[in-house]
Amino acid sequence: MVMNFDDLKKEWSADSGQEINISGNMLKIKQARTPIDIIRRKMKHEFNYQIAAIIILALFPYLFGLSDEMKMIYFVFYTIICGFTAYYFVKFFKFYKNAYDMSMDSRKNILWFYYEMKMNIELYKALTYIITFISVSFFAVYLVMEKTSIYSKIMTNISPIYLLINCFVSILIIGVITELWAWRYYGRYLKRLKKVVDELDYED
Amino acid sequence: MKETESTFLALINQHKAIIHKISKMYMKDLEEQRDLFQEIIMQLWKAYPSFKGKSKFSTWMYRVALNTALIYFKKDNRKVDKSPLDENIDIIDTDESELKEEKLAYLYKAVNELNSVEKALIFLFLENQSHKEIAENLGISEVNARVKLNRTKEKLQFIIKKNGYEF
Repeated sequence: MVMNFDDLKKEWSADSGQEINISGNMLKIKQARTPIDIIRRKMKHEFNYQIAAIIILALFPYLFGLSDEMKMIYFVFYTIICGFTAYYFVKFFKFYKNAYDMSMDSRKNILWFYYEMKMNIELYKALTYIITFISVSFFAVYLVMEKTSIYSKIMTNISPIYLLINCFVSILIIGVITELWAWRYYGRYLKRLKKVVDELDYED
Repeated sequence: MKETESTFLALINQHKAIIHKISKMYMKDLEEQRDLFQEIIMQLWKAYPSFKGKSKFSTWMYRVALNTALIYFKKDNRKVDKSPLDENIDIIDTDESELKEEKLAYLYKAVNELNSVEKALIFLFLENQSHKEIAENLGISEVNARVKLNRTKEKLQFIIKKNGYEF
């Protein structure tokens, strides 16, 4: 069989897709599968868990029988977490509702998707860091104030350098877990879009 | 709303070959082609209010449909048809219309080996778009569009020849 582009073009034009039926039902279908829609759904899902976690966190002082003084400190930390979560919620809501324009040229379109997603993933990571560090800080305050014996044992038996190294390693582990989590959940969508942009930009 | 919907459907029906061909170019498996086809229809419908009629409907449609295909994520849990080409197509049949279909089938199969931007380039080329139009649709320079298209055509020829056909 011999092929050439002119023949292929003719045969291509002749394929009118007449056998396909398009009905009004097709306009009411399912969820979109662009990366941004997938990420929005995933973030919404995670956000629901975060809300549930925040509600449960409010019960912690009562469940663990914290002293009145400790309860007050706990709720200061808790309010800070709620504040950051509310800020994230507003940003996320905007991201969730922000309509996209698919009729731009492909490069502009993909870059818009890429940076919109990247910004929101970074925001998501920032919130995770902030909540983790606030929680760790609260735990440190709790040790100092409520578990004085454990705190003094730590301070007398462990050298400050060892403590600092421990803090550093803990921060590193939190960072790595957050990055890996974000990458596993959202990274591949970014990677795919970046690949298309690179293919468009590639010149040699 | 009903009127808008029926106008939209009439326009889509006129140009459905565009969506059909893009779906076939970007997805191997029939189920995946259907999913992408539906996704394009849905994205077109979502974007339809932004169509002000400044350009031809088909021009606007090319962009939305291609952009959707370029960023579309297929479902993970689907079996992909990986059967070799020879099992799907009867090469011995020499009836002319079937030969044409066969050529197109081989084209689609060869196109599968291209990356997503190369698929877009070949699609726009087969749709008789000029280098300028291709460049405008993809958002690249005209020179870049020309160079990329030539390379992609060479690559496609190579793939088809590799499969044992003259080009």
